[in-house]
Amino acid sequence: MIEVKHLIKRYGKHAAVNDLSFTVENGKVVGFLGPNGAGKSTTMNMITGYTAPTEGHILVDGVDIADNPSVAKKNIGYLPEIPPLYPDLRVREYLNFVAEIKGVKRKDRSKMVNEIMSRVKIVDVSERLIRHLSKGYKQRVGLAEAMMNYPSMIILDEPSVGLDPGQTIEMREIIKDLAKEHTVLLSSHIMQEISAVCNEVIIINEGKIITIDTPQNIVDRMNTNSGLHLVIKATKEEAKSVLRNITEIVDVKYDEICEDGCIGMMLYTRDGIDIRERVFYMLAEAKLPLLSMGKEELTLEQAFIRLTGEGSRQFGGRKTKKGEKK
Amino acid sequence: MFAIYKKELLQYFTSMIGFVFLSFFLVILGIYFWFSNIAGASGNFEQTLGNVTFLFIILMPIITMRVIAEENRQKTDQLLLTSPVSVTKVVWGKFLAIVSLYAAIVLVISTYPLFLKHYNNEIFLSSAYSGIIGFFLLGCAYIAIGMFLSSLTESQLIAAVLSFIVMIITYIMPTLTGMLPSDGKSQVIIVAVVWILVCVASYSAMKNVFVSVLLAIFGEGAVFIIYGMNPKLYDSLIVKILNAFSVAARYDDFTLGILEVNSIVYYLSIILIFVYLTIQMINRKRFN
Repeated sequence: MIEVKHLIKRYGKHAAVNDLSFTVENGKVVGFLGPNGAGKSTTMNMITGYTAPTEGHILVDGVDIADNPSVAKKNIGYLPEIPPLYPDLRVREYLNFVAEIKGVKRKDRSKMVNEIMSRVKIVDVSERLIRHLSKGYKQRVGLAEAMMNYPSMIILDEPSVGLDPGQTIEMREIIKDLAKEHTVLLSSHIMQEISAVCNEVIIINEGKIITIDTPQNIVDRMNTNSGLHLVIKATKEEAKSVLRNITEIVDVKYDEICEDGCIGMMLYTRDGIDIRERVFYMLAEAKLPLLSMGKEELTLEQAFIRLTGEGSRQFGGRKTKKGEKK
Repeated sequence: MFAIYKKELLQYFTSMIGFVFLSFFLVILGIYFWFSNIAGASGNFEQTLGNVTFLFIILMPIITMRVIAEENRQKTDQLLLTSPVSVTKVVWGKFLAIVSLYAAIVLVISTYPLFLKHYNNEIFLSSAYSGIIGFFLLGCAYIAIGMFLSSLTESQLIAAVLSFIVMIITYIMPTLTGMLPSDGKSQVIIVAVVWILVCVASYSAMKNVFVSVLLAIFGEGAVFIIYGMNPKLYDSLIVKILNAFSVAARYDDFTLGILEVNSIVYYLSIILIFVYLTIQMINRKRFN
């Protein structure tokens, strides 16, 4: 179990992580989501003891990492954003070294190294120089490093970044496999990955927690305020003149592409009030055929973008202005 | 610690650097040995060693430049610092790995006096071996300094250049201090100027005018008051201080075949200080 209490990390005056508190329960797979610069890697670096927090405490299985680092670190395996590999060593040499610094006993070492290599499927490259491996293999060697000595917690910082789609799915399978025996904290940009493997999601932005919940709950919560999509066989003006009478509509977004002679639009209502029936009858009265009507289903990705204020401000993401929507 | 030690040695020999270091060192030493001891028909091996200390300036930066800078660049320090090994062990492991590499050279050259002895029974082995002990300690001190400089940066090149500069300065320090005036008055002026520089540095670090000015006034006051009370204290003070940094000059005793405890303690302290500074440098990184 990892307990993070009021964690703060300041660089000069800028707080990269600002009063984070959360708990990662044993046996769970927790996703750590946030735009670039949200403080994910900084937090993970602090949990693993790579950097020290400015304020706050981190307990790993009840042991404070500041008081007793060597005990706490034994229970954590960490795959940082850039896998910490020595390009001039062979895979087996590297993993033997990792096993040794993680305190694996000499007699168990080669057995454990072999076992882990076959679990992450790198046996076929075990005698190759790490320098010559592809990105996917490097990532898996990094994962093998994190698994070494089977720590109770495994922390993965964007494990599938830079992998091709096939490798991404393979990585997901490996993470699912890991989750059977380990508690996993995983950060990612890929929402399908998070919704596929995580029981719980922590969304952070600008160093603060925005929400902690299951992926399904987050999507459900956002869906109550989602839009209503209509396709009407009419011109824009005709549709406007009818729908203007429904005062609950606060925002309208027109589709850019639609069938000939039709118009597609997304309606957003105040407090998510259900206007489906009224829309139907009003359009029918005006003899404007309603071709389709459906609730917008938010994916976790869209929920994430909404929760974090439509992208990161720090890295060129930009907030859409109200005026641009219409 | 042993794991780090083995890994370092392995890395020195998977890349060319270990072989280059060993062979270059031994070849140059061999040439000097040939000219002064064999062709020159001299039995004085410690003198020969004294003549090749310039090799450290070229070779030690090459062997120490990657030792920590490369971990910083490849982000493999994340592995070392998040594994249950202490930084102290990591740094000692690395230091001992380079020392072992260097010790291999020293072991080879330890046979040279025996070789000379074979031809001339009147050679003093003890003075030759005290020269070798000094040579070993001097090398270890340079390794510690180079390792510390490597921990300051992420770039091997910068680490190498820094080490090169620092080692040259320690090498020519006696020449530099010889050029400085050594009378009390000029020493006071130098101390006063240095103190002002310290205050400027403290201002740029703290951005506090009041404290810096206060420091400057009281510091300068103290410098001149002490001079007024005891001018003798300043006689060749700067020269003495600077000479403490002339790592190579300490070796002169050894080349004469003298095994001086002072110098041994001096080298051991240099090693301990710089290993300690390296550990602190790595620890410090966690907090900024």
